[in-house]
Amino acid sequence: MTAIELRGVTKEFPGVTAVSDLDLTVEEGEVYGFLGPNGAGKSTTIDMVLDLVRPTEGTVTVLGRDATVDSVEIRRQTGVLPDGFSVYDRLSGRKHVEFAIESKGLDVEPDPVLDRVGLLEDADRTAGGYSKGMQQRLALAMALVGDPDLLILDEPSSGLDPAGVKDMREIVSAEADRGTTVFFSSHVLAQVEAVCDRVGILRAGELVAEDSIEGLRAAVGGEETLEVTVDDATDPVVDAVRAVAGVSAVDADTDTLAVSCEPDVKTQVIAAAEDAGAVVDDFHTTEASLEDLFLAYTEGETTPDEDSEAAEATADDTAEGSPARPEEVDG
Amino acid sequence: MSLPAVAKKDFQDTVRSRGMVVLVALFSLLVAVFAYVIRPQGQADQFATELLLSAFVGPVLVTGLVPLVGVVVGYNAVSGERESGSLKLLLSLPHSRADVVFGKVAGRGAALALATLAGFLLPAIVLVATPVTFNAGSYLGYTVFAAALGVVFVAIAVGCSAAVATQQRALIAGITVYALFVLMWGLFTGRVIGAFGGPIEALPVSMGEIRTFLDVANPTAGVEVLANAFLADQLFSGDQVNQQISAVAMLLFWTLAPPLFGLLKFERDDL
Repeated sequence: MTAIELRGVTKEFPGVTAVSDLDLTVEEGEVYGFLGPNGAGKSTTIDMVLDLVRPTEGTVTVLGRDATVDSVEIRRQTGVLPDGFSVYDRLSGRKHVEFAIESKGLDVEPDPVLDRVGLLEDADRTAGGYSKGMQQRLALAMALVGDPDLLILDEPSSGLDPAGVKDMREIVSAEADRGTTVFFSSHVLAQVEAVCDRVGILRAGELVAEDSIEGLRAAVGGEETLEVTVDDATDPVVDAVRAVAGVSAVDADTDTLAVSCEPDVKTQVIAAAEDAGAVVDDFHTTEASLEDLFLAYTEGETTPDEDSEAAEATADDTAEGSPARPEEVDG
Repeated sequence: MSLPAVAKKDFQDTVRSRGMVVLVALFSLLVAVFAYVIRPQGQADQFATELLLSAFVGPVLVTGLVPLVGVVVGYNAVSGERESGSLKLLLSLPHSRADVVFGKVAGRGAALALATLAGFLLPAIVLVATPVTFNAGSYLGYTVFAAALGVVFVAIAVGCSAAVATQQRALIAGITVYALFVLMWGLFTGRVIGAFGGPIEALPVSMGEIRTFLDVANPTAGVEVLANAFLADQLFSGDQVNQQISAVAMLLFWTLAPPLFGLLKFERDDL
């Protein structure tokens, strides 16, 4: 059974098409990262899955049920961390979780789940006094009540500090290990790559890419860039390197060679440079940064699907500007 | 069916608001002032409980203030949550939109009823303690009618709240209903009867019957009819039974129809 299935879904608001002819499938048990810049239609899509918004056209099926007709039953099996929500200021954190427990018709203690999100000590304070990050943890606790089959997290890391982001990631991983399907949206790619089995990138209401992180990386360019620092990048050296099979491009500076090549020809590149008389001082490789990859999909004039060469060019162009993929961009 | 969970949450949320404390204090103060004004003078030790209720508390507090408070308690029930974003949290949980609307009527209605009872009870304790004869039964019974009227207006205001997208519009709608029922009903019914004087004569009903219907069609007047019958010991007996039954029916109508109407709109909305 598929956890979430959208078929030909279009949503028009007065004057704007938020989502356009979207097909999306999330398999049971997978962790699906739903990416896109702000305003791409991610929240509208999630709102349609939760029946807060009804599609203009198309069908939305969640856990094998129609999203509009069986919304209550769907939400009984689904934990949701919404985006842009607010808490009930006058009620304590524990009261919030108790409300979620009663709403789901369960009879469990609120403390274990409060402990899990790290709010147990503050559980008796009113939620109005919580920081944004604590409110985010509280909503996550409410979502986790009753061990849902499906977790929908809309921008789960917004407002969280680095420790909170790490906790969030650990909880997502733990849920995934338990077999829960996790569908979460983000505009920061670094947050999804560590936990996602598959990623879909939404741009202007359309899905422009859908693949594993490795697959996306391969689509934008499986090649690595080898940067070789030499004493003098003479023309013969550049020509020798360019002649190596598997090298697609060489960009030479006075003492650096930026070599685009397949991963397994790196040693041959170094050897060719030395054979041509260069003294190699240093070399290192850079992968196409995921951020660059993301930008290539979301900011390019054309999408990789429509014109893969143009997208690769964009990705390569931006890759040159940033030496290496920054670890833990958002913590 | 998660209506009780929504009702409980909303009740807990509402009774914690500062407005509730103010409300109880205001009710207590006004009842106390009225009681002081008509306190037994000289040798008389008979405290005119019925007079206090039907001549002072009734017209000013119950038919004037309680409906207004009902509107204030109810108007932001749905639209307020919609504006703040807590509705997203609420609808992340397995509640139908009908559970949300009627749960809020129940939760906030209960909160207002509690505030009304508390506001009336505090002065009553003083009255019981003083060495005068005080008809506690009439007094307590009367507060139930006052609370019922409050609940009706909460229901009307929650209905308005569900039907519109913003708190501001919900408040305007609620105040309009209040103005119609409380401030201008006589004027309104007078105009209606005046304008349709000709056609009405052609109908097989008398002018008096229509006037009676319009009187109890207003929830405020309906509660007044019932409360006065209760104080006169004539509730559901005597020659006004028919009018009382229609008053009860109209009160039920005003408790259920506005939330239903609001729900029809709310159910179709993109949130």
